Amino acid sequence: MLPLPKLGVGLAFQTPLRGLIERPAGPFDMVEVVPDILWTDLGPGHEPRYLDDTEHVAWLDGIARGMPVIPHGIGLSIGSAAHFDPQHLQQLRRWHERLHFPWHSDHLAFHVADLRGEAINVGITLPLARDLATIDLIRPRVRQVQAAIHVPFLLENNVWYFDIPEAEMDEAAFLNTLCDRCGCGLLLDLHNVHTNAVNHGFDARAFIDALDLTNVGEIHVAGGMMLDGVYLDAHSDAVPDAVWALLEYTLPRCPNVGAVVFELFGSWFDVVGEARVRADLRRMKRLWQACQPHSVVSAELDLKEAA
Amino acid sequence: MSAATFQSLMARLVIDPAWRASVLAQGLPEDADLSELERRRLDAIAASAGMDTNQTLHKGFRLGKIKALLPLTTTLLKGEALQAALSTFWAQHPPKTFYFLPEAVEFCDFLLARPSACPYLHEVAAFERAHLELQRARTDEPSPQTVRFVHNPSQLLGSLAQGRQPVSVERRPCTAVGVRDAQGQAQWTLQE
Repeated sequence: MLPLPKLGVGLAFQTPLRGLIERPAGPFDMVEVVPDILWTDLGPGHEPRYLDDTEHVAWLDGIARGMPVIPHGIGLSIGSAAHFDPQHLQQLRRWHERLHFPWHSDHLAFHVADLRGEAINVGITLPLARDLATIDLIRPRVRQVQAAIHVPFLLENNVWYFDIPEAEMDEAAFLNTLCDRCGCGLLLDLHNVHTNAVNHGFDARAFIDALDLTNVGEIHVAGGMMLDGVYLDAHSDAVPDAVWALLEYTLPRCPNVGAVVFELFGSWFDVVGEARVRADLRRMKRLWQACQPHSVVSAELDLKEAA
Repeated sequence: MSAATFQSLMARLVIDPAWRASVLAQGLPEDADLSELERRRLDAIAASAGMDTNQTLHKGFRLGKIKALLPLTTTLLKGEALQAALSTFWAQHPPKTFYFLPEAVEFCDFLLARPSACPYLHEVAAFERAHLELQRARTDEPSPQTVRFVHNPSQLLGSLAQGRQPVSVERRPCTAVGVRDAQGQAQWTLQE
């Protein structure tokens, strides 16, 4: 994967974080947004099919005049065996025409399947079998994404609470093969790695060592919680020490990475507190700057280059 | 298309606890279009503790939709009555969409289609359903919504909005008419 523009540190948009994002001189360089929550999909057959949330989109356009806004989708369900929606890509392309983002991403998972002849949406990301057949399914879809939106496309390693046994590859080999064969990059979610390592008892750092880190275009960090003996990727807390350690180990080894983004569900913002969120962002920024071989080019210039 | 069947059944294990229990007790349907590998995988997934977590997360997601958009109805139902209604609703209505509003409207329709021991439930559910219709994303103007109340709507909805159970609400038959104003907000007026 080619190096992505070095945007720096990002914050994932949630409505309760609007005030923090709007304030000048925040300790972050870009905003990530789940685009699917800012439009309504009326479904196939409707024209127009997608209705943007005009209030939030206008607000986002204002933010985008000051810093890059990167979409991180949840609606593609790129691993669904029976569903893939090209109209979703056209909606993303319209967003790209407006926001000129230098890359975008979605999840390496599926959530749409059929039940009794009707499509259902499970609402959570379900894991894919780590087989070549899965990569063969995804490869032409990545091509379709890239044909619709002419910027790098990243897929995020999934959090999985159950494994699909008898896999042809371990997860690191699967992610490496996916990127090599499909031409996408990796959005390496370190909190997902941490969550999987805690719940399934593997060494997170050994997992990182097995990855081809040249594929990493973006990194996510977050916090979670224990529930009934299971650690959840709940985006409910500040970044835990174990994830900081993973970030400090991983970031210097990712030559093509464009940003590190902190994810926090808006409903937990008051619990974690703005001061802690800001402190984590500042710590991320110090780490980011320490990992740059030269000073960071302004995000505005990078965006113009990418466009 | 066994890969599609595999994913469909994996998804069903998540959303349908009763079906998962039947798979654990009796195995997967023999006529399911699955390879032997896919059968072994689904058997293992059905038995895994991680599936409990996925079921909890899935239920939490669906519950969150309902509670966020139907605060008055869920305050009125609360506790065991809410849990029972949701369990039946979820068993009969698989999740079709990521979006909150269609599922909340579907839950209202479910409540309105069955008798209730609570004397206020149908009025409250009909009001919140109508309120959501006025907020639904659309390209045209929504039709005015009418809700017939038997009980005083100010008392009934007011106490629920404050998180209190309504008690002995006076009878006041009337009709509430809702429209969407120029700012996109629902505006309600009462007609005797």
